[in-house]
Amino acid sequence: MNSSAPELVTKTAGGAQPSTVVALSQVSKQYPGVRALRDVSLDLRRGEVHALIGENGAGKSTLIRVLSGDVAPDAGGVLIDGTPVAFDSPLDARRHGIVTIFQELMIVPEFSVAENIFLGNEPRAFGCLYLRSEAERRTRQVLETLVKGSGMRPAQRAGDLSTAQKQLVEIARALVFRASVIIMDEPTAALSEGEAASLRRLILRLRSEGVAILFVSHRLDEVMEIADRVTVLRGGEHIATLDAKSITRTDELIGLMIGRPITELFPPRNDKIGEVVLRAAGLTRAGAFEDVSFTVRAGEVVGFAGLVGAGRTETMRGLFGAEQLDRGQLAKRGIALDVRSPRDAIAAGIAYLPEDRKEQGLVLSMSGIENIAMASLDDYCIAGVLSWRSLRAIARAAAQQLQFRGQLEAPAATASGGNQQKLVIAKWALTGADILIFDEPTRGIDVGAKAEVYRLIHQLASEGAAIIVVSSELPELINLCHRIYTMSGGRIRDEVAQSDFSEHRILEGAFAAHLGAVSGTSAETRP
Amino acid sequence: MMGISDSTSPIAPAIDARFKPVSFLRRHSREIGLPLIVVLMTMVFSVSSDVFLSAPNFRNIGVSAAALAAVSFGQTFAILTAGLDLSVGSTVALVSIVASLMMRSYGIPAGLLAALATGAAVGLVNGVVITRFKVFPFIATLAMMSVVSGMALSLSGGVAVTGVPAAFGDLAYQLVLGIPVPVLMAAAVLVTAFLVLRYTRLGRRIYAVGGNEEAARLSGIQVGRIKVAAYVMSGVCASVGSIILTARVASGQPSLGATLPLESVAAVVLGGISLFGGRGSIVGVAFGVLFISILSNGLNLMNVPSYTQMMLVGAALILAVALDQTFGGGRAGRRS
Repeated sequence: MNSSAPELVTKTAGGAQPSTVVALSQVSKQYPGVRALRDVSLDLRRGEVHALIGENGAGKSTLIRVLSGDVAPDAGGVLIDGTPVAFDSPLDARRHGIVTIFQELMIVPEFSVAENIFLGNEPRAFGCLYLRSEAERRTRQVLETLVKGSGMRPAQRAGDLSTAQKQLVEIARALVFRASVIIMDEPTAALSEGEAASLRRLILRLRSEGVAILFVSHRLDEVMEIADRVTVLRGGEHIATLDAKSITRTDELIGLMIGRPITELFPPRNDKIGEVVLRAAGLTRAGAFEDVSFTVRAGEVVGFAGLVGAGRTETMRGLFGAEQLDRGQLAKRGIALDVRSPRDAIAAGIAYLPEDRKEQGLVLSMSGIENIAMASLDDYCIAGVLSWRSLRAIARAAAQQLQFRGQLEAPAATASGGNQQKLVIAKWALTGADILIFDEPTRGIDVGAKAEVYRLIHQLASEGAAIIVVSSELPELINLCHRIYTMSGGRIRDEVAQSDFSEHRILEGAFAAHLGAVSGTSAETRP
Repeated sequence: MMGISDSTSPIAPAIDARFKPVSFLRRHSREIGLPLIVVLMTMVFSVSSDVFLSAPNFRNIGVSAAALAAVSFGQTFAILTAGLDLSVGSTVALVSIVASLMMRSYGIPAGLLAALATGAAVGLVNGVVITRFKVFPFIATLAMMSVVSGMALSLSGGVAVTGVPAAFGDLAYQLVLGIPVPVLMAAAVLVTAFLVLRYTRLGRRIYAVGGNEEAARLSGIQVGRIKVAAYVMSGVCASVGSIILTARVASGQPSLGATLPLESVAAVVLGGISLFGGRGSIVGVAFGVLFISILSNGLNLMNVPSYTQMMLVGAALILAVALDQTFGGGRAGRRS
């Protein structure tokens, strides 16, 4: 069990706690040019859920890779039951009872569920015959203890399973290995809210069986819901290990993760709000979003909150013409728009900065300059012939204003996440758009770059642009926006004015569709 | 302009300009590597054969490389969009027949125009099938290879079209400033292709579509039109290749260009164009063509049978891609 008083352990000598299963002791790991981990210690106790949080680049994945035997630390080591061990491979760690479930699930799609669970560990007769019935029998057993009604059959083809079910296969595999420690890297990131909730229940069940669980999550509400202790990393260093009960607000965790109070990241809001620029009425695409109506004014930053799968991105893509709308009208400054393709949207002064920069925002193989010019290439062409000189000059000026730090002539792939996002912003700013849709604008970029993105959004707004921000990070929306719409199940559930902003109110809207279906799951909307 | 304000804050001095030899070599390993191999190969052949290093032989190499060059430059457009054009060989055959028939009846200019139009038409069909009907380029152009080849054979009745004006046949052997006309034609295609790819909106959009189709689409680029244009370019270039070959044999041949699909893809890939699209330079392709042509010329002079040469060209293609995957950071394979 946990110690009752809030504790702030900065250095835990491994093996000091009697119930410690595995500990990292003063581990350091250096990559060329990066100090990924510096003197980090951590202990996992029998029957605890331990959350590991931190910004990107904080060292979470390196820590996991050390614990799972994937990389060897430069200094320090892993202790199991107080004894130092040196893993020479992930398999070795697994033999010691540490099983890691990575984000990319290790599932062979053409194999059955049972074959996947016993992969590399097949029940055999005479050392070579695969005992299919034995594997399937034991699989059925594990699946029944794991989750009743998972809907999985041992002989089913694993490729047909949902992501959540594939995760169950991995967890079942861990149990077959008699794991004492299960490490999960962002297990709920790819799940729907219902699936995530049942995974959380499963994690708690595993805890009661005495398994130690280390899980990485960016969803702080989830961390506070199920973790017993929380370890915060920043810049490769151990910042704190806290008793989860001592934390009352996610802001505290964010403050620890970024090293300063969260409000300092955000510029003041623009106060010159003008006329309604964009009016959407009854936007509908069957199966994705329904009857979505909203307005955005000049100079206003309007947030869209909701869970993954709530239909926010789909709505924005529909509005931008990237996907067809079934119904609905768009009007800009009172004049109806007919947007059938991204090209039409751009002509109407709409810009969409997609949530996935690498897959949708940039051509990674092309230079920064060309990416910046991509949506406004016509401006540098006379009769189809390109003027590299004017293109370079304009792209350079834009990059300088955005404080792009990187090589503009080099492929965009070489820039960091934050600088890539600046390329995307520069690209759209140059189209002269006055309606800008930012979809998860700060996903995967570090704190410094986040602050700069917020500043740029503020700057665009104060110049009179109408801005929509889709984000899954509540603090971001609450501190950046003038108004927030919440979506759930493809519909707008709530419209919240700035004076009414609270995590509670917004989460209520975000869970609206789920609350209707599953009554009494109030655990998800914490007061 | 609505956009970024001009409240610039002081910027750290640009670090773009710094030259880093190691990363430069790494990034440009292909651009430097292949020319180096071509030079080395030339040296080896010069030593092993006393005929190799002579102006007549170089003209010979040039003339035999010219058709492959024109076709490969066209193939580059298709592959840059992450596509492929396997119909180039039969396009060459069909163009050869059409051009010969037209020339025989209406003279050389009409024949040349018909040749370019035929190539463009085949490319247009390829492009429309690929973009409008969403058939994979591999299948679409493989099928078109059969269709177009059938057209060439039925138009000609399966035999050569003779009676081509003599002046046209002479074209293949005329020299301008000591350079054979076919070489000049290939060079003209190279320069045009280079300019189009580097200095036109179309060219940059071809790179964008090949590099990341979804990002290009979301940037307002009409992806379908760009792809169609790329296949039309491929068809037109193939018809230039066909004009060169037809002039050399002074007749329309329904079986011309059978080896061109493989050889052009080989030249393009050897030249460093990524099969996944969006990466590589047409200058590299020119060296890819030189590599294949000098290799086969040198092997001829060393009396290596042509069947053996076919094996060597195939092996060189596999070797080039394998080396690239292993050492070159997988330029042809993984997306970074």
